[in-house]
Amino acid sequence: MKRVLWSVLLIVAILVAMVPMAVAAPARQGDAGFDYIVVKDDWLSKLALKYLGDVFAYPAIAYYTNQKAAEDPSYAKITDYDLIEIGWKIYIPSPEEAQAYFATRAQTLGVTEGETIKIGALAPLSAPGSVTGGQAMKAAFEIALEEINEAGGVLGKPVELILVDTEGLPERGTAAMERLITQEKVVGVVGEYHSAVGLTAKEVAHKYGIPIIFAETWNDNITASLYPEVFRIAPLSSEVANLDANFIQWLGAKKVVIMTENTGYGIPAAEQTTKKLEERGIEAVTFSADIGTQDFSGIIERIKAENPDLILVLLTGETSYNFEQQAAEAGIGPQDVMMICNQVADDSESFWKNVPDGNLCFYRKVGLPPVLWNEKTKAFAEKYMERTGKTGVESYAMEAYDSLWLMATAINNAGSTDPQAIIEALENIEYEGVLGTITFPYNSKNPPSEAGVEDKWWHQFPDFAAVFIQYQEPGQPSSEAPVVYPEKFQTAPPILP
Amino acid sequence: MYLWLALLWIIGWGVVGAVLIPRVYARRDLDVSQAALAGAMVGAASGPFGLALLAYFTPRLDWKWVVVPGAATVAIFLTAFAATYPNNLCVSNSAFVLTQVVNGLVVGIIYGLMALGLTLIFSILGIVSFAHGEFYMLGGMFVYYLTQEWFPGLHPLAAVVVSAVLTFVIGALFEVLFLRPMNTGQVERPGEYAILVTFGLSFFLQYTTLALVGANPKKVPRYFDYPRLAIPGEEGSLLKVTPGTVRLFEEIVIPSPRVTAAVIALILLGLLMWFLYRTWIGKALRAVSQDRQAAAVTGINPNVMNTLAFGLGGMLAGLSGASLVQVFSWVPWVGTQAAARSFVIIVLGGMGSLPGAFVGGLIVGVVEALGAGCVPDPHRAAAYIPAYGMLILVLVLLLKPTGLFGREL
Repeated sequence: MKRVLWSVLLIVAILVAMVPMAVAAPARQGDAGFDYIVVKDDWLSKLALKYLGDVFAYPAIAYYTNQKAAEDPSYAKITDYDLIEIGWKIYIPSPEEAQAYFATRAQTLGVTEGETIKIGALAPLSAPGSVTGGQAMKAAFEIALEEINEAGGVLGKPVELILVDTEGLPERGTAAMERLITQEKVVGVVGEYHSAVGLTAKEVAHKYGIPIIFAETWNDNITASLYPEVFRIAPLSSEVANLDANFIQWLGAKKVVIMTENTGYGIPAAEQTTKKLEERGIEAVTFSADIGTQDFSGIIERIKAENPDLILVLLTGETSYNFEQQAAEAGIGPQDVMMICNQVADDSESFWKNVPDGNLCFYRKVGLPPVLWNEKTKAFAEKYMERTGKTGVESYAMEAYDSLWLMATAINNAGSTDPQAIIEALENIEYEGVLGTITFPYNSKNPPSEAGVEDKWWHQFPDFAAVFIQYQEPGQPSSEAPVVYPEKFQTAPPILP
Repeated sequence: MYLWLALLWIIGWGVVGAVLIPRVYARRDLDVSQAALAGAMVGAASGPFGLALLAYFTPRLDWKWVVVPGAATVAIFLTAFAATYPNNLCVSNSAFVLTQVVNGLVVGIIYGLMALGLTLIFSILGIVSFAHGEFYMLGGMFVYYLTQEWFPGLHPLAAVVVSAVLTFVIGALFEVLFLRPMNTGQVERPGEYAILVTFGLSFFLQYTTLALVGANPKKVPRYFDYPRLAIPGEEGSLLKVTPGTVRLFEEIVIPSPRVTAAVIALILLGLLMWFLYRTWIGKALRAVSQDRQAAAVTGINPNVMNTLAFGLGGMLAGLSGASLVQVFSWVPWVGTQAAARSFVIIVLGGMGSLPGAFVGGLIVGVVEALGAGCVPDPHRAAAYIPAYGMLILVLVLLLKPTGLFGREL
């Protein structure tokens, strides 16, 4: 009897203890907006993070509180975001209300009153981002900007490009987008190289309803989230994986080692490629390393022991050079087994300096093969090589150039800087660029679900071209290296080690 | 499965030993300085049996009580590893293991050289230089520009020497301009000031280099093409050399630029030791590191020694960069990871200990190579390279907070 009494007491005690917790537990996200009394150690962005799930949503709390205060003086009036007092009654909006606020604010933001039209650009200009890629994109942006302004600018005003360094870091991408949209008041954003940054930048673009055209971010999820603001002219990583798998099958490899980087691009790309290879009956083993790894000797010995027919390098930048040269020194370089080097090999001067034993490397080049270059590509290539002193044009430079021109053209077509109008103009665009004719066929009028394609095709430029090139002589400039695949573009047969 | 059981055993009894044994020794009023370490090792190796005997007999604990059970612990771990992953290359292929160890030792020598510079600065100036990685980067950059751009045809070794002089001058100049105020009372909080000002130097050097030379990776062709030879003969040779590789016992292959780099580093280490132990200035440097005031009393100017130490420290980092620019691709931010590794090494070896830095370098080199070679999941093996050094660091700090060769307090 006594034990039963104790058990009941215990249960009651637990319940009593839980009541204050339940009372204290705040209304969570997804509920309606509610009134809130400021307590000690509160500040607006903390409340915004707690109730709206976004630190930067604090202006929405201030806005709705001030609106309420206009009708009901018991609400506080927030004039300074940095100053709230204990005991103030404020209104925390629901996430939907906050979203609505940001959408309307973006429209007022988008109206450019100044003398210029501002377009934002993202690129990695310092480590750990791919600085090589970022600087190539910067040069391409500059060329596009000069051309646009020489051609009379946009809506009769000169374009001002605000280029922000994302360092290849997701959190920097968020900060850069917040700055571009809320402080610089850009009407649209273009560029970026790293998928990890693209994945966070798209969220900010979506929050404010500002259109963004991604130039070189391959991760499928960037377009697969179906955000109306997000467009992409870079290839899809899963489609590139398909292409790689086709090429590897064509070469006749039976066992492949994938050497990838530990990033938002490298890991999914390796997974997708492995899947596509397995579908074709080809065995694949993946090794991964951090960006910036210098010494690969340990991993190269393991790759040797796997005895692969082909090594696919999905590392980027100088990390890929380190791996390729060290593999060659250890006896599994491109002259010993087939090797698909990273696309940065396209910068032939830098490639031969860093990978002197890199002859017979294959690499994938996104963008039209030189045989299919149009007048615009040729003109851009000439300007680009003159400006940078390089002997070829990298695909990401082409994409950066097109992304800025595309945004300028869309604003002109829209006839206004209203984000909604620009998005509509982009959906209907047919733009002749250095990558070919750019269109976005899967859009709000023809959504992927109705067209029977996967969501990743949303606002995606579908006709990206890609070819495989092989260096066939040591020191060969990339402009002279032959295309070996696909066969319809082939200028020379591949040389197998 | 065996591996997890073994780890559970090692960690569980290790902790019990580390907690219990010092108490037992303290209660019997015995020397407890080594009790925690020895207790942990004996516990990890032999579990309750060894601990019970140790607690009952309480022998005087010297280094043997750490080393022997330590080796037994490693043996238990390795046996469990071999039983769990019988097909792992590290278990089934001894040539593979040897190759990894040799590769680890070769880069370890260079890691050691770089860490030596950092530990030298720490022992004399009492500060940690956050710009150490940038000196490493500059050393390589200078060699590249000297041999490839400014004076094509210059012998790489001459460029290495010039690069050493340049990094020394930059280090010494920086010390005179920015670190000397620390010792003259012009700065209120010298410790924090040193951290900030060397951080500033790090950013300054890295971004100035980026602005001047751009982001394209650079690399110097290997310094020496080795002559072809085979000892004793082509068949079954013990040592076989081609222009690009050195092959030991037919199985162990080391790319020749790495051998060159390691040999340069070894020669430099020898020179450094001679300088520190046989010359007046070297002895003066060590005297300052032992006791600043006493050294000053005997007529050594500590300010000059500070300048010299910072310059030398920078130069050692620069020299490791200069010997590695033929092995790795070189970019302005190449020093970041190298500097992080140096910090691990000097804490591991004992802050301010010269042999500690060198041995620490070798340990980190071998552990990284074995980690990359032996971790079963190929997806993670290389991705965790920076973590292997950290793991060793954590273990050493737990068991011996002064580091391997640190001064006991």
